[in-house]
Amino acid sequence: MAEETKKKAEKPKPEYIQVKFDMPRRYHWSTGKYLGKVYAEAKEHKKLVSNVCPQCKQIMWRPTVVCPYCKIEAGWEWAELAETGTVIQYTYLVFPLWDPHYGERFANPYPSAIIQLDNGVFQRHWLKETNKDKLKEGMRVRICWKEDYNERGLGLQDVPYYEPIEE
Amino acid sequence: MPQVAEKLKDMDVWVYHGQIYIPNTYSAGDVGSRFLIELRNNARIMGMRCPVCNRVYVPARSVCKDCFGQLKEWVEVSDKGTLLTYAIDNVAKPIQPTGTPIIYGIVQLDGADNGFVHMLGGVDAEQIRVGMRVQAVFKPREERTASILDIKHFKPL
Repeated sequence: MAEETKKKAEKPKPEYIQVKFDMPRRYHWSTGKYLGKVYAEAKEHKKLVSNVCPQCKQIMWRPTVVCPYCKIEAGWEWAELAETGTVIQYTYLVFPLWDPHYGERFANPYPSAIIQLDNGVFQRHWLKETNKDKLKEGMRVRICWKEDYNERGLGLQDVPYYEPIEE
Repeated sequence: MPQVAEKLKDMDVWVYHGQIYIPNTYSAGDVGSRFLIELRNNARIMGMRCPVCNRVYVPARSVCKDCFGQLKEWVEVSDKGTLLTYAIDNVAKPIQPTGTPIIYGIVQLDGADNGFVHMLGGVDAEQIRVGMRVQAVFKPREERTASILDIKHFKPL
């Protein structure tokens, strides 16, 4: 027994193989009437749209069937969201994030901001500006779309970030 | 119900196609690592012999399924064998290593006592018969990565 352990100690360290394989699972779901309109407009015309309450004339975002203030059916009246907006608050994220759907790593750092669009809608989204010193509350931003038609079709994921503009 | 049908009348059907990415990694262990390294370095298929029941397992395993003894005797088996059974799969799935149609076969290699699961290639699906002789086709040395797919497929002799 002692000889065996001595022999083992003299052997070089064996190579161990790591077996790696990916198992992507696909899923499909129907978005329904209202969300389907948003996804279709984003893919076809690069526009964010949402429906308007017929009574209080507020823009719903995201589109809803029933207005949460008037408690009536919001209907099929659509308005386009503004392309530009103002940063209300931002967070400078340095935590490494992975895309759970395609296994790619998100850009890092990636500032996340609450943006008030010019027609009053609040929206949380990413910002293109990664320099911490150039970020400030009240900066003006504009929407950026994925340029490739075939890559669009995932709703809000068609908008990678908002880019800063100078006015 | 008529109300529902009316609402669905001019509905744009939009289906969201997504996926969840599930990466997997496991260590092949002592015996599995040596089996895969032999495939990569020397293009040899190695098995393990049980000294009690005299059975040769391919791919190599560390414990006999009947005798439960620790196996230590490595043997090299031939890259030729006999097809025991097969299945043809025409449905493309993202897990599969190659395109469709993919033909899975269980091959009893010469010198082994159990079946070895792999793919068949270089043959029409209609020409495959149970009991035909097949031979392993290895990838070139540069493309081998110590994986079971270092064997490209089994081709008929």
